[in-house]
Amino acid sequence: MAYASEQAQEKRRGFLDPRTKLMLVLLLAVFVLGGLGGSTLKPVKTVLSALPFALLLIEGKTGRFLRGMIMLGIGYGMLAAVGVLPGVLRHIALMCGGILTRFVVTVMMGEYLISSTSVSEFIAGMERMHMPQAVIIPMSVMFRLFPAIGAEWTSVRRAMRMRGIHLGGAKAGQVIEYQLVPMMTSTVRIGEELSASALSRGLAAPVRRTNVCRIGFRIQDYILLAGGVVTVVLWVMELCGVKLW
Amino acid sequence: MVELEHVTFRYGSETEASLKDVSLQVNEGECILLSGPSGCGKTTILRLINGLIPHYYAGELSGSVRVNGKEVEQTELYETAMHTGMVFQNPRSQFYSTDTTGEMAFACENRGMPEHEIYARIDDTVRRLGTEKLMDRSIFQLSDGEKQKIACASVDVAGTEIILLDEPSANLDDDAAQTLREIILEWRKQGRTIIAAEHRIAYLWDLFDRALIMDSGRMIREFSREEADVLSAADLAAMGLRTNIQESPKDIVLPACTETDRTMVIRNFRFAYPGCKEAVVSIPELRIAQNEITAVTGANGAGKTSFLNCLCGLEKHCEGILEYDGKSYDNKQRQKLCYMVMQDSANQLFTESVLEEVIISLTAGTADEKTAALRILEALDLSAFTDRHPQSLSGGQKQRLAIACALASGRKILLLDEPSSGLDYRHMREMAELLKQVCETGTTVLVVTHDCELIRACAGRKITLG
Repeated sequence: MAYASEQAQEKRRGFLDPRTKLMLVLLLAVFVLGGLGGSTLKPVKTVLSALPFALLLIEGKTGRFLRGMIMLGIGYGMLAAVGVLPGVLRHIALMCGGILTRFVVTVMMGEYLISSTSVSEFIAGMERMHMPQAVIIPMSVMFRLFPAIGAEWTSVRRAMRMRGIHLGGAKAGQVIEYQLVPMMTSTVRIGEELSASALSRGLAAPVRRTNVCRIGFRIQDYILLAGGVVTVVLWVMELCGVKLW
Repeated sequence: MVELEHVTFRYGSETEASLKDVSLQVNEGECILLSGPSGCGKTTILRLINGLIPHYYAGELSGSVRVNGKEVEQTELYETAMHTGMVFQNPRSQFYSTDTTGEMAFACENRGMPEHEIYARIDDTVRRLGTEKLMDRSIFQLSDGEKQKIACASVDVAGTEIILLDEPSANLDDDAAQTLREIILEWRKQGRTIIAAEHRIAYLWDLFDRALIMDSGRMIREFSREEADVLSAADLAAMGLRTNIQESPKDIVLPACTETDRTMVIRNFRFAYPGCKEAVVSIPELRIAQNEITAVTGANGAGKTSFLNCLCGLEKHCEGILEYDGKSYDNKQRQKLCYMVMQDSANQLFTESVLEEVIISLTAGTADEKTAALRILEALDLSAFTDRHPQSLSGGQKQRLAIACALASGRKILLLDEPSSGLDYRHMREMAELLKQVCETGTTVLVVTHDCELIRACAGRKITLG
């Protein structure tokens, strides 16, 4: 059967709308990572923390899911060990555990956003929020650059290993500099070439852009958006001193 | 369709003009080959036609560039984009989208074309260019050949009447270049105007109507179809051009290794990417001649680069050993035995000066490091650049420096990944000579390449992967 792009786009539509994903990242950053809200918000935060893991499973990204679980496990393991550890080790465990349990969940949400959203979907989402082009274009370039930076990072690491420059080796002090110099030059070059390629294909034309990817709110988006509103309302109520439970 | 009149252009960051008084007229439906040594100004001409110069790359421009009768300098980039489409050289940095379908739709989306029309155009392109298998994929999972095919498909969907190609075949193997050739044929049939800047001219030699040869920013020769047909190999070499004869590495016959040769042996090499069942590299036994130059060939995606990574000990999960001079080397030990010059050699240069770069590579305990390093730089024609920042060198010079570091490290095996991609005739010859020179120091050289001219110029052996 001949290829039909319209049906294919419909089929590969993501589970969530990019706007919902952005809202979730924001919520997690503020409430879980930032630690906003007191004890009354605790159950809400637990639910929020479970979200990225559930979403990663839904999108079939088991590798990322497992990695997140392991990191989180290590974090809680450290917190649990605080009671039995002696002196300095206790402080280290407390610090590492605290950092891991706070950061991992939010980082997972960010990873979910980037790995499950194509640049087209991201642009489409931003446009539906009526963001100006001056915001959308640089943000979408950044969005596109993340995976490219990852690839460059690996490539430079390999080159260093091949040349025998290791952490802990004779030249350890310079390892970070060695890593960053080629990384920065190649990232700047890739960014420049990407922009040239995009501009020569008419990005930034003063017309209303269209989008072939399918986005839009569905039932799961409405549920999560409502959840987001509830979270904020609860927080405001707590601020006003209303006792909830 | 396209007119350049007495154009002179100097990039803002440079002191010398990249184009000097160039005039060019391209008629509708013409297919033009633009060739000449590296740095001759081919890319600059393409950038002038699609408006990236002066709108994106700033500099000093005089003369006039017109596309469809409109002065490019006075036209907004997005308006010129309605008429011109470009396939860039580097497949890693020309995709704005992360998925193939989104990429193909990109230009039309920017024009605000209705979705249903874009869908229809994509479906039509997919049918004509045969890209069904590549649709709805992440661009990070495509081989270079597949990426260039998608780049061509994107230009096709945009439907621009002028198509600009900037060394599109630089990273392609022979089969992928043939596919590119078929796509260009299809565009010719539709009457599109094509301007192709290329070093590797063989695959499109019989397609163009006119060939323009440049050197140091000037148009030096122009050949009509008839004139081009009678050019000999010597004529081409005299102008610094590559061969016009299509040849596949498969056709080159080189002697195989026998038991009596001095060889190193690869045993039970196996490597698969994590999560993949199928191995990319699977070699039960392979003999490679020591102290000789061996060409490693195979199609895009045959695992040539993975093979080099394994040999270098960079893939932790690679099984198997290498026997060299009666000793056997595992993954970790091979890291100290082999040195690789990567495809993007900029990523393996870390320091702030050329001299320092070589010094940190020297084997520990070398007496008088500076003299030793200078001697190597001298041998590789890099003495003039000792104080330069490695990242400010040209692509060819970076490669040369990477090889200098390999020599300094004193490792026995040198691996190179496509060292001649994007090199003109003279630089390719120089690379071949350099490899021979390295080989004479007692180093075993393995070159992954699809470049028949390079193989003929230096390799004594050949192995085919895949």
